Amino acid sequence: MMRGIHQNFDQQQAPAFFARGPSPLARLTFFTALSLALMATDSRLQYLADVREKLMTLLHPLQVIANAPSRLYESTDEYFSTHHYLLAENARLKKQALTQDIALQRLDILNLENANLRNLLQAKQSLTETSILAEIIHVGRDSFTKKIIVNRGRNHHVITGAAAVDAKGVIGQVTRTYPSSSEITLITDKSLAIPVQIERNGLRAIAFGHGRDNTLDLPYLPANVDIKRGDRLVTSGIDGVYPAGLAVATVIEMKTTQDSPFAHIICTPTGGIENDRQLLLVSIPEIKQETATKPLATEKSKLPAAKTATPAAITAPAVATSTKPAQSQKPVIAEQPAPTPSANVENRPHAQQ
Amino acid sequence: MRNNKLRSIYLSLFAAFICILFPWSGIAMTLRPDFMLLVILFWLLRAPNQCSVGTAWFMGLWVDLATGGIFGQYALAYTITTFFAVIYQRRLVLFSSTQQLVYVFSLLFLSQLILLILKAFAGHEFLGWSYFLPSVTGVLLWQIAVIFGLNTGRHSHGS
Repeated sequence: MMRGIHQNFDQQQAPAFFARGPSPLARLTFFTALSLALMATDSRLQYLADVREKLMTLLHPLQVIANAPSRLYESTDEYFSTHHYLLAENARLKKQALTQDIALQRLDILNLENANLRNLLQAKQSLTETSILAEIIHVGRDSFTKKIIVNRGRNHHVITGAAAVDAKGVIGQVTRTYPSSSEITLITDKSLAIPVQIERNGLRAIAFGHGRDNTLDLPYLPANVDIKRGDRLVTSGIDGVYPAGLAVATVIEMKTTQDSPFAHIICTPTGGIENDRQLLLVSIPEIKQETATKPLATEKSKLPAAKTATPAAITAPAVATSTKPAQSQKPVIAEQPAPTPSANVENRPHAQQ
Repeated sequence: MRNNKLRSIYLSLFAAFICILFPWSGIAMTLRPDFMLLVILFWLLRAPNQCSVGTAWFMGLWVDLATGGIFGQYALAYTITTFFAVIYQRRLVLFSSTQQLVYVFSLLFLSQLILLILKAFAGHEFLGWSYFLPSVTGVLLWQIAVIFGLNTGRHSHGS
């Protein structure tokens, strides 16, 4: 075998020996400079975004080809799935649909009530989100970043900044859109932060991704903060990116150490970041106009606000509208101060009597 | 002959790119060898006239595009790696097959090291030693290919 290699190399190399073009060192210098320039341009300036987009459209057919075997396997696997399994799944789905129907009925009533209350308070109507169903084409190939590519893009009206949500919670945010696909950065990525609220007491915080494993951090919270194991984090909706009240994560560990003034809090995402295939891209439309114009005068459609979102949203409005007395200690939500003056007015006549 | 070889170079590079585009996930993702670099190294050793540092740089750009990272990262890593492959290419004729394996492994390791340094500049953390597993699987793939007769010369004469 080895002799074969040697002979072969000798044959090929003999004529190549003299005509080799520029020296390897010259090529190295040239191409290194070129790639360094490219890296600088791409990371600091925005010139290459268009080029990347065009090349991605070129790449899309190849993507489809590369995905074809696994697609084929999946579809045949589905086709040959057992009768028993399908029956079990059908039963489970029926049960799930039933519970969700009940929850939805309650949601309708709550939405009506909420709209009426907001009318009474003359508060701004909550925005209606639009949602697009997308399917994950592939998980990112770069092991340093947590990104996924989905099969919906600008042609399907996906916009950069839309929130990606699955049945159980938020999983990320659209960071790049291409004509027929888009890139989603997961909440576990190091570069993504998401404003959250503790569901139990309404405390606001910002959750940061870790990059390495599937956990989120809640940094910069004091050691005496009121957070317990098992607390659920939901989106606060303050950023104008994520609709308020979507489940984000559950606290799994809360540690305080002597040497640090901050608590060490670790959470796991509720959404099936690693295992789901379908997800919803939820975007809040016209957010800029909404905040720029008079906030009171807007009359948006009232009812179907949270309906377009996921079932996770059902549990969520509890935070925004909660009227627990314990909450009055902290100014959690803008509407909160309103009850206190009226309470004082009520109290005064009593005192005079 | 020359055209045939050129065609097989392009075809194999294309196939390697498709391999990168596969929807890898889970453990396969951490074990996945760098197909593109393996193919480039193979052609660098076999046909240094048609495939050189420039080819590696160009293919690196495509890999950059596929990974969605900053343009030029893979391109730079491939450029430097192939430079070392090219300057030792003639000496390789005298290498035994184990020496050749060590040589290929160090090249794969080098490219990952360069990528790691570039990522560290971008603010990413080290992912643990499992990050270097693709170099090991890459070398295994190389050895399997050699066992199946890839380097014996039959391949290039046939196609």
